[in-house]
Amino acid sequence: MTAVATTARRSIPGAPSMWFFVIGDLIIFGCYFVAYMYYRGQDHTLFLHSQARLNLDIGAINTIVLITSSLFVALGTAAARAGTVTDAVRLFGIGLGFGAAFPLLKLFEYVPEIVGGVTPGTNLFFMFYFVMTGMHLCHVLLGLVVISFVIRNLRTAPTPNISLAETGATYWHMVDLLWLVLFALLYLMR
Amino acid sequence: MKSKKRDQWIAFWMVPAFFNVFGLVFVPLSWMMPPRSPNAPEPQMISFMQSHNLLIACALLTLVYGFAPVGNSIYLIQIKRMSVSPVFRYTLMVGSITGAIVGMLFPMFCFGLGAFRSGYRPSILLMLYDFGYLAFIGSLGCFCIMWMAFALAIILDQNNVLPKWLGYYTLWQYVTELMAAPVWISKSGPFAWNGLMTFWFAMALYVPWQIIVYVCIYRSIKNQPDDELESAWLHQTSPATDVRPKATA
Amino acid sequence: MTTYLRNPLTIVWALLTAVTVVSWLTARDGGAAHLVNVTVTVVVLAIAAVKAQLVIWHFMEVRRAPTWLRATTAGWVVVLFALLIGFYFQSL
Repeated sequence: MTAVATTARRSIPGAPSMWFFVIGDLIIFGCYFVAYMYYRGQDHTLFLHSQARLNLDIGAINTIVLITSSLFVALGTAAARAGTVTDAVRLFGIGLGFGAAFPLLKLFEYVPEIVGGVTPGTNLFFMFYFVMTGMHLCHVLLGLVVISFVIRNLRTAPTPNISLAETGATYWHMVDLLWLVLFALLYLMR
Repeated sequence: MKSKKRDQWIAFWMVPAFFNVFGLVFVPLSWMMPPRSPNAPEPQMISFMQSHNLLIACALLTLVYGFAPVGNSIYLIQIKRMSVSPVFRYTLMVGSITGAIVGMLFPMFCFGLGAFRSGYRPSILLMLYDFGYLAFIGSLGCFCIMWMAFALAIILDQNNVLPKWLGYYTLWQYVTELMAAPVWISKSGPFAWNGLMTFWFAMALYVPWQIIVYVCIYRSIKNQPDDELESAWLHQTSPATDVRPKATA
Repeated sequence: MTTYLRNPLTIVWALLTAVTVVSWLTARDGGAAHLVNVTVTVVVLAIAAVKAQLVIWHFMEVRRAPTWLRATTAGWVVVLFALLIGFYFQSL
């Protein structure tokens, strides 16, 4: 594998302004996570009973889906840097495919819940659940749009915009990262 | 020499003036902000609605409301300089109009009715209290789209009128507006209109952003070359040889 | 194909998936009992912290980034999980 662009010097992948956004978003969601833990501590019973009604399996599968999507996006970024653009397009495409599975699986989670009478207004846990996963879902959908633009650029531009690919990848990995914490807080912890 | 940017500077400086009046009206004068509890006991809500200070606050608000459109114009002038589609500018324009009406005018009416008109039944005053606060804090749609348009315009702009990181920071305004949606459901706790998640976190993000955005726009107005001004046609000295098109409505 | 399998990124992916399954299994039985379970919580949060650091370090390439970025992201992981664990134990 050609190591032309993977330099040893310390560099920030993608646009610095995206890193500003990533760090800020991590801090903002971090505040939400801690607030959730604080309010959970005030009513463990309610939160435990409510958690039991979540679909843990879909949550776990979605986690693996996002991790896999991130892998292909990371591989695609490396391919774009190495100049193998067709590989990059294919890898980003597979990443996009896995990423698109997330909202689909979420539908299978949300719809039965809502139809079953579980809504944001049901109790505090479910308000946190719907608000935080909903906000995250918006991030996912935005990420899918961004990745699509990256793919289009790689396919059609005369010289592919590597910085765009890196910037989009950074955003997408952040989306994955946020979900990892959400999964632990909402679905797993007792 | 007369500044050719006087129009922009007048609009610009109107904003801190307006915000100061706004701040005075909402906080020490009427204690409308920080938001009172949606769950407060009824006698408290009623005495608030009929308080003398609320009356003064509403009177002031009625007088200064006109500042809002003028102040919002500075966003529009900056977007016009960007290399993006005019759709963004129109979106911000309409978003700020609907936002000001629903987010400021409606609460003004609700609290004003309580303050200026005596004799309403308690149940009506309670409804107006709810209506006013929900309109003020729950009116997210217009602001969501407004800040989304502004953020995208900045991020996509190739003329770099405003810094890219400001565009990303503006995206968080969109996030905090979305986070306000639960206020329609929760009457207490972190998701009520005075809650940690919906109000306090949002304020922690919004206040610095509002200040920072004005600093950036200040710099942008200052750095704009005179010949690029939208109002440049006003200052042309030789109309006979001037080939620049006159601005038409 | 084998280059992808031997790629460090794929190894990270395998690790992430493996610990996800571990935490999935750890929490699988605890839910129905409706009981606070400190062990499960600590394990699950510790795994989440490790996953977070892996994604940041390898996928986001912070491993090769300037020191300030490495410190900031590591700081985020440490502070966040310290606060989470802290509030959790304080509420028990």
